[in-house]
Amino acid sequence: MIKNYLKIAFRNLWKNKTVSAIHIIGLVTGITCCLLMILYIQHELSYDKFQENGDRIVRAIMAYGRTKDDVKKGNFTGTKVLTAMKSNFPEVEDGVRMYQEPTLVKKGEHAFNETRFLYADSAFFKMFSFPLLKGSATEALNAPYKIVLSFTTAKKYFGDKDPIGQTLRIGAGEKDYLITGIAADCPVNSQIQFDFLASFASRQAARTEPIYWSANYTTYLLLRSPGSIHSLQPKIAPFMAGEMAAEGERDIYVNYELEPYNQIHLHSPYDSFEPNTNIKYLYISGCVALLILVIACFTYVNISTARSLERAREVGMRKVTGAYRNQIFWQFIGESALLTAFAIVLSIGITLLLLPAFNDLIGKSLSPSGILHPGILSGMLVILVSISFLAGSYPAFVLSGFKSVKVLKGAFHRSAAGTWFKGSLIVFQFVISTFLIIATMVMQSQLHYIRNKKLGYDRDHVLVLPMDNKIKDKLDFIKKEWKQNPNILAVSMAGELPTHIRGGYSLWGNTTPYEQSIMVGGNVIDEEYLRANGLQLIAGQDLTEQDVRDASHGNDKDNYFHFILNESALATLGWGPDEAIEKKMFLGGRTGEIKGIVRDFHFASLHTPIQPLVLFPENWGAHLIVKTSGRHLPETLAFLEKKWQQTASHRPFEYRFMDDAFSKLYTGEMRIGKILSIFSAITILLACLGLFGLSAYTIRQRTKEIGIRKVLGAPVTGIVHLLSIYFIKLVGVAFLIASPLAWWAMYNWLLDFAYRIEIQWWMFAVTALGAVIITLVTVSFQSVKAALLNPVKTLKTD
Amino acid sequence: MLLQLNNIFKWVNAGGQRTFLLKDINLTVKEGEFISIMGPSGSGKTTLLNVIGMLDGFNEGEYHFMDESVHQLKEKHRANLYKEYIGFVFQAYHLIDELTVYENIETPLLYKKFKSAERKALVADMLDRFNIVGKKDLFPEQLSGGQQQLVGIARALISKPKLILADEPTGNLNSKQGEEIMELFKQLNEEGVTILQVTHSEKNAAYGSRIIELLDGRKVSL
Repeated sequence: MIKNYLKIAFRNLWKNKTVSAIHIIGLVTGITCCLLMILYIQHELSYDKFQENGDRIVRAIMAYGRTKDDVKKGNFTGTKVLTAMKSNFPEVEDGVRMYQEPTLVKKGEHAFNETRFLYADSAFFKMFSFPLLKGSATEALNAPYKIVLSFTTAKKYFGDKDPIGQTLRIGAGEKDYLITGIAADCPVNSQIQFDFLASFASRQAARTEPIYWSANYTTYLLLRSPGSIHSLQPKIAPFMAGEMAAEGERDIYVNYELEPYNQIHLHSPYDSFEPNTNIKYLYISGCVALLILVIACFTYVNISTARSLERAREVGMRKVTGAYRNQIFWQFIGESALLTAFAIVLSIGITLLLLPAFNDLIGKSLSPSGILHPGILSGMLVILVSISFLAGSYPAFVLSGFKSVKVLKGAFHRSAAGTWFKGSLIVFQFVISTFLIIATMVMQSQLHYIRNKKLGYDRDHVLVLPMDNKIKDKLDFIKKEWKQNPNILAVSMAGELPTHIRGGYSLWGNTTPYEQSIMVGGNVIDEEYLRANGLQLIAGQDLTEQDVRDASHGNDKDNYFHFILNESALATLGWGPDEAIEKKMFLGGRTGEIKGIVRDFHFASLHTPIQPLVLFPENWGAHLIVKTSGRHLPETLAFLEKKWQQTASHRPFEYRFMDDAFSKLYTGEMRIGKILSIFSAITILLACLGLFGLSAYTIRQRTKEIGIRKVLGAPVTGIVHLLSIYFIKLVGVAFLIASPLAWWAMYNWLLDFAYRIEIQWWMFAVTALGAVIITLVTVSFQSVKAALLNPVKTLKTD
Repeated sequence: MLLQLNNIFKWVNAGGQRTFLLKDINLTVKEGEFISIMGPSGSGKTTLLNVIGMLDGFNEGEYHFMDESVHQLKEKHRANLYKEYIGFVFQAYHLIDELTVYENIETPLLYKKFKSAERKALVADMLDRFNIVGKKDLFPEQLSGGQQQLVGIARALISKPKLILADEPTGNLNSKQGEEIMELFKQLNEEGVTILQVTHSEKNAAYGSRIIELLDGRKVSL
């Protein structure tokens, strides 16, 4: 019996190869997309779950400002907060301060610039679940100049030799660090990622008197119990008020907000050592995945139902020859289950094949083993059962219940309810597709806008090189040498790139009280910074080499600073451009005067409005910014590399483009943009498949009508028109439903950006036009064929 | 007595009017009879056949089939009854296109849960008897109309019914093919199968032992 069913199922599939292919491809595409998205979501949700103490670890977020209501927040703290908390609050069991810095690592003659280089306190291995393969968890980091390598890094530097007890030369200062341990490689789903972990005690800052200021470090605290966060949090503000008073800080508000470690990756606005993921984008991804799955299932059910109509005669005949209703029921359900199971297996295979490409696309490393997660497997089972029943239900419930006489005569054709039902499935599919098309268009326009918006600085052909004290000592020489090349236009040393300036200071005039100071962003620059970044001076003068020297005496008493303010700072101070020049100012402990006003530029992501900013020289920097003309770039790079080896041979020549630094600000948006574009293309495809399948059947059911109309003299165009208009109407309805939804959703998405595009009417027009054209093309495949058929043939069959 | 119809009425209500499809039909069929039902188009021949075959119901009257009162039976019982004792042959053959000759003939046995070996033997017998062994792996569309009808009859016979209901079995065939089918029916009848056929052709009707003429749903006495 089952063999018989299998045979007939297979032969049925084979008879209509095109429709069968559409049928299966649709479902496979849907499930594959869904699986990929689930893997991605699963990966993101799995972050840090392996940390056994995860629920007891918190990160300290520093909130600081003039008053409680006007604070800035950041995920960096000073070194003192850990020691203060540990000794004052019983809730705090232990803690770790961490610091990440791209660092030069030398073994013998070979030097590498290592970016995943972290410093951590000795409690690191006690707090976090990173297993040590070799070495002692308590002693590996308990003194200066100790270092732990990851397994892969140890292999890279020492091959098969045992690195324990060996040394590596670290940093431009070329200190020897003793290797005390080998740690297993960090899981990819960890917010803390390191190749090197050096003892925090090695850092100058750990040895000097701890302070709350100079917030450069990430502080993690290990609480005694997960609940202690609630009792601890309210105690911190009063405690800090006392600390500030004791330090004699006038009117400064400092508080530390504790963030549960497990919430950081998805819920915190502040990145960890690895970029966070906004949970909102996971919701979007999840919804899109679900929608695609739903569309695919609808298409599948739709086509299944349509196809089963063809089998009505078979059902009738089976009943006449003695089949019970439930036998027919199970035949169709079984057939549909078999096909669905096949589609699911195929999807899993394709998912595994596509995973590497998908990883490239979203910049993640998802593991294929995630597919074995019991949730996914049971999800598959749910899909299998529900689709089998849905897709098989029409023949199984309805057809099998018909009187065989009727079915044999074919008298059951097209009930009004059935048409209405299938019509609404099509409408639903197109609602989703149109929604996604509009959403994609808005998102892409916004991303395009971001990429091309005049940000006030010029990031084209700008190279960024690392900087350290050795290089700084030779800076004048380097600048002179490099600029001999006509394609190198400017070389600037700076604290931060104009793409993202994070430093914060308070600024006040020497005639106004400190209480009226304003919070400003700040960045250390030199006399070539404005030129290197194409910043525009609107009043006053640019810095000179002398200005840089004036601020480089090494102590604040002798230093005299020249400040460059942006327009926003000026507006906040309430001065006109010319009025401001040469005004005497204080910036934190620095004394100086305003020398120039620079046009506002976007020194943070476009999510936030432009804030007040001060640029000033201070004789240090973390980056070398090299502006090139963009011509002969390969030669220019070769030139730079050669010069680098001559003057900064202690470091490998590694450069990046400022444009990449800029793109990093929008990783989340770009990822979701990419995903949406691809997925909306797929939903359109799926909707078309559904339309194609459905139109094929609707038209086949109407062949007799078409034949009669042709005999009565209807032209081909008339018939095509007749057949298309029904589908166009459905798509029209879908568009009317989807447009306001899409507008509302995208309007809210755009509100996240301080600088954004307007949603344009043409986006809707293009979508509507596109939908109509797609519908026409899809339907006309079938309708033209039907209209061209010789009526003699079609009319004979009944 | 195989079956008996007493005062059978069947009607449909259309546009507020009652149209009678069958009107006061009385009929007794004895085992071993070969009856031809004749009449012009729309006279109710097929309807009568469907009522007898229990594929269709009726509105009034009594129907006894082998001591069972069909009009009092539940749907499921009725279905069991016709599956057990009645075989159908259609004008349009109604073979399942996706199944081969062999599989088409086998289908009723599957639903009766015969064992595989038994099925093989029975189908082989049937193929042999109808001389279509060489065609067993062909699909319906690869056969001529006459051959398809042969398969149709073989399928109707495979479960050894007492009664064969044939609705214009030769309607789609040419005269030579038609003659062969009628000869086959005659032979089956001689072997003891009761046959009720609907036909337009006087010549085919003559194969039967009795002719019933219908006009507008009424039995016309000859």
